[in-house]
Amino acid sequence: MSTKASLLDLLTTTPLFAVGLTLAAYLLGSGLFKRLKRPSWLPAILIAALLLAGALALIGLPYATYQQGATWLTILLGPATVALGMPLYQQLPRIVELWRPLAICLPIAATLAAFYALAIAWLLGSSDTILASIAAKSVTAPIAIGITEQLGGTVALLMGALLVTGVITIPCVSIAARLLRIDDERLIGFTLGLNGHAIGTVRAFEISPAAGAFASLGMSLTGIFTALLLPLAWRLIGFSS
Amino acid sequence: MPALSGLLWLISYWLIGEVVIYFTGLPVSSGVIGMLLLCVTLALYGRVPTSIAAAAQPLIALLAMLIMPGVVGVFFIIGELAGQWSAILIALVLGTLLSVITTLWLLKRLIGQQHVH
Repeated sequence: MSTKASLLDLLTTTPLFAVGLTLAAYLLGSGLFKRLKRPSWLPAILIAALLLAGALALIGLPYATYQQGATWLTILLGPATVALGMPLYQQLPRIVELWRPLAICLPIAATLAAFYALAIAWLLGSSDTILASIAAKSVTAPIAIGITEQLGGTVALLMGALLVTGVITIPCVSIAARLLRIDDERLIGFTLGLNGHAIGTVRAFEISPAAGAFASLGMSLTGIFTALLLPLAWRLIGFSS
Repeated sequence: MPALSGLLWLISYWLIGEVVIYFTGLPVSSGVIGMLLLCVTLALYGRVPTSIAAAAQPLIALLAMLIMPGVVGVFFIIGELAGQWSAILIALVLGTLLSVITTLWLLKRLIGQQHVH
C-alpha cells in the first residue's frame, strides 16, 4: 500500500500524469461515443468525464492535485476561445443575413434561459446561495465564474450546473427542433450555443461548421449579455449579494 | 512553422483581451473579447491567414477536451449537496427544455417574418 502511494506521489510530481490521464480519457470517451453510434443523450464529453472521474477515484488521486496538473491543458482554453473568432468570421455573411432576428431573439432568450431555471428552483424552495450558483447556467465557464462570484454563489455548484445544462441542451434541441419542424442548422447551432455554452458549441461543430459558427455567436453574445445584466437584475430583485 | 505563429496570434489576442478588461472593467472574459477582436481583424483583412487557420483548427477540435478537467470536478461535490440535488436537477433540466423550445420557436417566428418582407 505504501509503495503504491509513493509511486502515485512520484508520478504526480509532474503535470504529465494529469495531462496523460486527460488525453487517455478523452480518446477512450470519443472512441466509445463512436462505437455507440453517437447517441445525442450521451455526449462524448460526458463519457470521457465519467471515465476520468472513475479513474481518479480508482487510483485515489485527489481532484485538487489532478486539477493542478491539468492546468497545462486548461490554459489552452484561452487561445481556443479566441480561435472561435475564425469560424465566426467565415460565417459572417450568413450571420449578417440574419442579424435582425438574432438581435431580437438574443436578449429575450438569454434572459429566459436564466429565468426559467431560477423560477423552478425558487418554487421548489432552493436557498439563495443555490439560486446564485445556478443563475449563470447557460453562460460559458470563464464568464460564468465571474458572474457567480459577483452574485455570491458557489463556483463548484456552478460547474455542476454548467455540465447538466450543457449535456441536457443537446437532446432538448433535437426534440424541440423535431417538434417545431426546424432543420435549419443555423438556428439549431445558435440555440445550442445560447443555451448549452461550450458543450452545445462543441456539439454544433459536430453537425457542421456553419452550425458551429452560429453556436459560437450565440455562446459569446449570451455570455456578454448575461454578464452585463444579471448582476444588475439580481440587485433590483433584491437578493442578498 | 505556420501553426506556431498562428498560436502566437491567438495568445496575443487573448492578452489584448486582458488589457481591455483591465482598462474598461468589463465583466466579460478575455477569451470572448479576443474572439470578437479576431473576428473584426479577419473581416478587415479580408481572409484567414494560413498561420491562424493552422493554429485555430486543431484548437477548436480540442475544445471538448480542454473543458473536461473542469467538468470532472462536479463528481467531487455531489456529497456536499445531499438532499438538494433533486430540486437543482429538476430546475436545470426543465428550465433548459423550456428555454430551448422558446429560443427555437422565437427564431422560427422571427425568421419566418423576415422572409415575408
